[in-house]
Amino acid sequence: MKLEKYLQILPKSLWVFTLNTGSCNGCDIEIVASLTPRYDIERLGLKLTGTPRHADVLLVTGPVTRFMEPKLRQIYAQIPDPKVVIAVGNCATSGDVFFKSYNLVGPVDRIIPVDVYVHGCAIRPEALIEGVAKAVTLLEAKRAALVSKTAVGEGA
Amino acid sequence: MFSSVFSGAGFWDAGVWLLMFVFVGGYAFGIRRMGRSDYKKGTDQDEVYYSGNVMPDVDVFTVPASSSYWGFREALKGYYSRLSAMHTGIATEYVGWFVLTAAVILVLVIV
Repeated sequence: MKLEKYLQILPKSLWVFTLNTGSCNGCDIEIVASLTPRYDIERLGLKLTGTPRHADVLLVTGPVTRFMEPKLRQIYAQIPDPKVVIAVGNCATSGDVFFKSYNLVGPVDRIIPVDVYVHGCAIRPEALIEGVAKAVTLLEAKRAALVSKTAVGEGA
Repeated sequence: MFSSVFSGAGFWDAGVWLLMFVFVGGYAFGIRRMGRSDYKKGTDQDEVYYSGNVMPDVDVFTVPASSSYWGFREALKGYYSRLSAMHTGIATEYVGWFVLTAAVILVLVIV
């Protein structure tokens, strides 16, 4: 029995893996703030996970240093499909003031495809919640496409 | 086919045990079938997560269970080194030891 075939909505909560690719930690603190009782993003079904192999969403902070590039690629590759990448903060989305630094290979979308951009230095939890809401929509569309693709494959 | 074993506290029946095994096994199999299978086999999605690093060889970071005996082996190093030297793995030498020991015991018993 495959739940994806019968459910109109996501069959499970969003499991999120966060990766700091050289951030100052400001955005990471705001991610943690969004989990606190004031914002409580878990009430919307978002859950942090300790391994990319269980994740649906990759939350990337930081402008991607040279050291972190292979790790970012590896972690992205380890997340099962369908997956959504959210670039969190100005550094992750554009490199911000570090853009021309010799030690950066980012921003994130130069390394892996990014689906949602959340701007801010640091981001506000409300912005992150909006980004996650957009990620849900994208993930549902991707999952639906994947399920129909599988169904076509099974029918052939 | 199976008879029950009664004790003061209850009973044990092989048939019930087998039935439970089949029931629990079927239940576990059902849960396993509900699991996600949309990851790609043979890719990085199959690899162990090692903080984004390439997995080193197993020998590099595996601590074998025999390590817990390190102190014991270190303390009795003299004894073990002699014993290991005697274990050559050559069958004829083992037979020789057997004959020699038998001869010594025989001499001790007769004399």
